[in-house]
Amino acid sequence: MTTEIASHQEVPQKHELIMSLKNVGLSYRRKRGVFGEEFWALKDVSFDLYQGDTLGIIGRNGVGKSTLLRLMAGIMQPSHGQLINTGYQASLLSLQLGFIYYLSGRENAILSGMFMGLRKREILKRMDSIIEFAELGDFIDQPIATYSSGMLARLGFSVAFQVDPDVLLIDEILGVGDAEFYQKSTKVMQEKIHSNKTIVFVSHHAALIQQLCNRVVWIENGVSRMAGDTRTVLAEYHKFLHLESAA
Amino acid sequence: MRKETRIQLFFRYLELIFYKTYADLRAETERTYLGFMWWIFEPIMYMTIFYVMFGILLGHRTDDYVPFLLVGLTIWQWFKSCLSHASETILGAHFLMQHVNLPKIIFPIILILTDTVKFLFIFTLLLVFLWLRGYQINEYYWALPVLFFVQLLLIIACSLILAAIVPFLPDLRFVVENVLTAVFFMSGVFLDVSKLPHVLDFHKQLYYLNPMVNLIEDFRNVLMYNRAPDWQALAIISIFSLLGIWFGKYLIQKFEYVYPKVMP
Repeated sequence: MTTEIASHQEVPQKHELIMSLKNVGLSYRRKRGVFGEEFWALKDVSFDLYQGDTLGIIGRNGVGKSTLLRLMAGIMQPSHGQLINTGYQASLLSLQLGFIYYLSGRENAILSGMFMGLRKREILKRMDSIIEFAELGDFIDQPIATYSSGMLARLGFSVAFQVDPDVLLIDEILGVGDAEFYQKSTKVMQEKIHSNKTIVFVSHHAALIQQLCNRVVWIENGVSRMAGDTRTVLAEYHKFLHLESAA
Repeated sequence: MRKETRIQLFFRYLELIFYKTYADLRAETERTYLGFMWWIFEPIMYMTIFYVMFGILLGHRTDDYVPFLLVGLTIWQWFKSCLSHASETILGAHFLMQHVNLPKIIFPIILILTDTVKFLFIFTLLLVFLWLRGYQINEYYWALPVLFFVQLLLIIACSLILAAIVPFLPDLRFVVENVLTAVFFMSGVFLDVSKLPHVLDFHKQLYYLNPMVNLIEDFRNVLMYNRAPDWQALAIISIFSLLGIWFGKYLIQKFEYVYPKVMP
């Protein structure tokens, strides 16, 4: 289905446009009250996201990467600039969202899945695979208050992984849990990323981005410095980091 | 999976509201040894205190003061618990709001539902108490659903408006508690102000501007005095409540994307 079309543009437009950001900025109020000063988490971000992309967002800590994901998920709206979503559902991968301590694993799976956009019947249909993947067995009907932290992490991941939006937004997390489950969860997550799904993956690990993404946006201090194919952008990013550390 | 239609979204949110209500109620019962029995024991303890205090110690054993008081307290408690809990709901959902895009109006609605379910338990107990005291089911009982409905409208209106504002003014929570206490004393839970001597007509009119005065009186009329409720007052309360619901909904939707940015 991917027909190569010769293009004169910087980005070869072989797929449908999903999201387009043009000079997007977003401000918070830093303090409470009428006189709270404004704080610009994002100042000027522009890039496009196409169907089937695995888009990496790279940048140092605190440059607004997570805020950018929240914008793309439709949780917040830009204070200036334009974010156009052509009609797709984008959601954040969130672990253990909405879990209630006193309820069973099964009930929490339903609740969490519903918060993330699934219907109850869809979760029930996938319950067996959730239980199996999380390796919980009969524990699924025990209150999660009795779970070890590893079990809780496994359940959280298994539920979140069932949610299948058009665009999956991932903030640093690939795998969770103890060593064994970490490998297993990272593996399925990488499989998902390598599939034809549209993924936006935020990280400050250049190596991971290089391994997983076909396109990269580099964010520095709330501004998108560069967007393009992985190699070019990462090369510039590294050059910048060297200059910074030299200075 | 393209974006859902409005109707699909509506039913998905409705399902979420009901499941979350169930989950919250269940979590509450799981927290204690006696579980949901507390929804019965707690009001019994509460009512017993008032029975001992007024019925036995202050000598109202024979007249209808204790039922009068308990009807007032039960009805008031529903209103009060919804308002004071709902005011914190949007603020309290901060973590969730940072991770998923949900219409924020569902948070106060979930709370109103859970508190209303608990109220229905207490109200059933109240009915049992009244029947034991010799009050009988009368021909005005059919008005009870109407009374519930009107009070629910009032509760939704006040709750939505409070929930919409409190995230911006968290200090308001302390004010709300105290205003509720003040309104409690002005709502005729303890005494029927209109029957007091030396009350000016003007003050009486002011007193009846409080919707809870009317609702509590209407519940007493139906449950204790075999009288019809004041339909005109109920209609006025409904109209103002609907306006309030519209306004609260408007506020919450206006700030839909601002709430996730507000500090908890």
